[in-house]
Amino acid sequence: MTTTIVLQQAINGVVLGSLYVLVALGLTLIYGVLVQINFAHADFVTLGAFAAYFFMHLVGGGYILSIAVAFVVGAALGWLINAAIFTPLRHKGNELLPLIATIGVSVMMQNVMLAWFGPIPYAFETQYSNEVIRFAGIFVSWQSVIIIIVSILTIALLYAFMKFTFLGKALRAVAQDRETAGLMGINPNYLIMLTFVIASALAGMGGAMLAPVLVLTPFAGTSVIVKAFAIVIIGGFGNVEGTILAGLIVGLIESYTTQYLDPGLIDIVVFALLLVMLAIKPTGLISERREENV
Amino acid sequence: MKALRTLFVSAAAVGLLVTAAQAQDKTIKIGALFPMSGPGSYFGAQDKQGVELALEQLNKAGVNGYKFVVQYEDSSCSPLPATQAAKRLIEQFKPDVIIGEECSDATLAVMPVVEQAKVPLLNAGSSSIKVTEPGNPWTFRIMPNEVMQGINLAENASKRMKAETAVLLFENTNAGIGNAQVFKENFTKAGGKVLAEIGFGRDVNDFTAIATRVAGLGKVDVIPTYTLEGQGLKITQALAQAGVTKGGGGNAIQIGTIWLPFGFEAKAGKAALGYIRIVQFDPTDTRDVAKNFASAFKAKYNADPTHLNAHAYDQVMLIADVVKRGGKDAQSIRDGLAATKGYSGVTGSVEFDKTNQNTKMDTIHYMETKPDMSWTSLKWN
Repeated sequence: MTTTIVLQQAINGVVLGSLYVLVALGLTLIYGVLVQINFAHADFVTLGAFAAYFFMHLVGGGYILSIAVAFVVGAALGWLINAAIFTPLRHKGNELLPLIATIGVSVMMQNVMLAWFGPIPYAFETQYSNEVIRFAGIFVSWQSVIIIIVSILTIALLYAFMKFTFLGKALRAVAQDRETAGLMGINPNYLIMLTFVIASALAGMGGAMLAPVLVLTPFAGTSVIVKAFAIVIIGGFGNVEGTILAGLIVGLIESYTTQYLDPGLIDIVVFALLLVMLAIKPTGLISERREENV
Repeated sequence: MKALRTLFVSAAAVGLLVTAAQAQDKTIKIGALFPMSGPGSYFGAQDKQGVELALEQLNKAGVNGYKFVVQYEDSSCSPLPATQAAKRLIEQFKPDVIIGEECSDATLAVMPVVEQAKVPLLNAGSSSIKVTEPGNPWTFRIMPNEVMQGINLAENASKRMKAETAVLLFENTNAGIGNAQVFKENFTKAGGKVLAEIGFGRDVNDFTAIATRVAGLGKVDVIPTYTLEGQGLKITQALAQAGVTKGGGGNAIQIGTIWLPFGFEAKAGKAALGYIRIVQFDPTDTRDVAKNFASAFKAKYNADPTHLNAHAYDQVMLIADVVKRGGKDAQSIRDGLAATKGYSGVTGSVEFDKTNQNTKMDTIHYMETKPDMSWTSLKWN
């Protein structure tokens, strides 16, 4: 029984950690390229969740397709908000303005969603939510299986994009030195836009993956974003590999804290780890020179 | 002389008209502290519906020449915003009476503010015993408190459901912890055994780990659960996935006090099978007041009312009853509330004890989720 529980909680932790990774990856990408924290990231997650929900319930689409819809909606909104708000502010030359604007965008999006969707929690059920695979005392819902598969695919594709494509290499160049990359013929503004689009698309997709797991309200994303920030810090700001590792560690910490300590202690344990990391290894779990982030 | 008499009669008539008009201009100002944002915002949305229905009915003719106006403030189900909202209401709107909040932590934070301002607070949604113990002259509660509900729930779990073991799941708030402790005391007193007490924050989303822990505890008969609707949905689904509860093929039954609105079972799906919980309003109640409320609500909103709609409606209607008995300002409304006897509202009867707690047990209604995800009234009280 004990082994079964340990294994079950490991699976629970990996599933939860995968969700955190999907949300945290966008945050770390934006930080890596722009050295900017995006406080509105949580709301892109929420919007992705609602996009998937309404695609299923109003259009009658399937869940898997709804994940793609959330991805596209997130990307489109990321492009729009970057073009309409962040880019003009960035051109004013004050780094603080876009940062403050992300807070404004966050509050605005939350209240627009509150007006549109109302405060009553939505039940986001998919055909996979209640279908459970059981073997040797272990249970895994098909929803969890989908979360793990999509997370692995996303991480692999993102990694391949960054390492092997021209645009990915250009992004890394901008992350290393925006001005020099510009002198080499790379358009930093285009790549900053691309970063926002990718990060927002990931957030939207993360929302569609999270929606059946979390409580879907206009404030849904905010309940995971604090953990996502912690994961980005533990993994190392702007460090994709570190973020993935930290996300999985936090997921496992939550599961085992729940089993062997108390779920009320989860935040204490996670944020104690964050403080320890800041004190002894502020560069994050996987050390990397700042210039080589992303 | 005749002209003078005509002048006097005309003046008297004008005077009467002015007085009548002034009487119609008299208003009772009700401040409403409801959560409109955050995880408890579904409370506020449904409370507002109940209040608006009551206002529509009352303001058609008024009560004793008084009309009722309501000012809503977002108290966010949380102590700090609730305190700020209460201060805003008192300073700017100057209410004769305040209704709300829903969450115990928020209500407890507001109580000293209304006491200092000497404005009565009529509460219908906070269950913590601290709201009325040891008693606050300005705070009244029509909802059965956590002790009334907890004792009743524990007795029914032991005697009617023949439960021997329980696992307590609760949010780490005054109401969550208080409800769980009352159940524990009374369930163990009745010979039952509590296998685990699992508290969690409101930021927990995934309850699979908690369900796994419960599954590892052996035979569990009942799982008293104390959370807001959103987390409640996820807990119910996780427990079913883990094969713990009836909805997932297990034997355990989730039970609970007044936390969840109607419609919960439809959202939770088959995972909610067998869930037994106390609700504040029984739509199968055959009293005229309950039937009339349900039909008026349906006519206005084209939906069936929830207990939140019902208790918000009751709050305003009870204030109207006090105004009918002579209440006209904060002090007289407070005194009128304290003197309430045999008032029959939609959620049940109202009669306050010396701590201003409603003592009537007919406010406790049980319901059980059936296999088709509808529910049935158990008539245990």
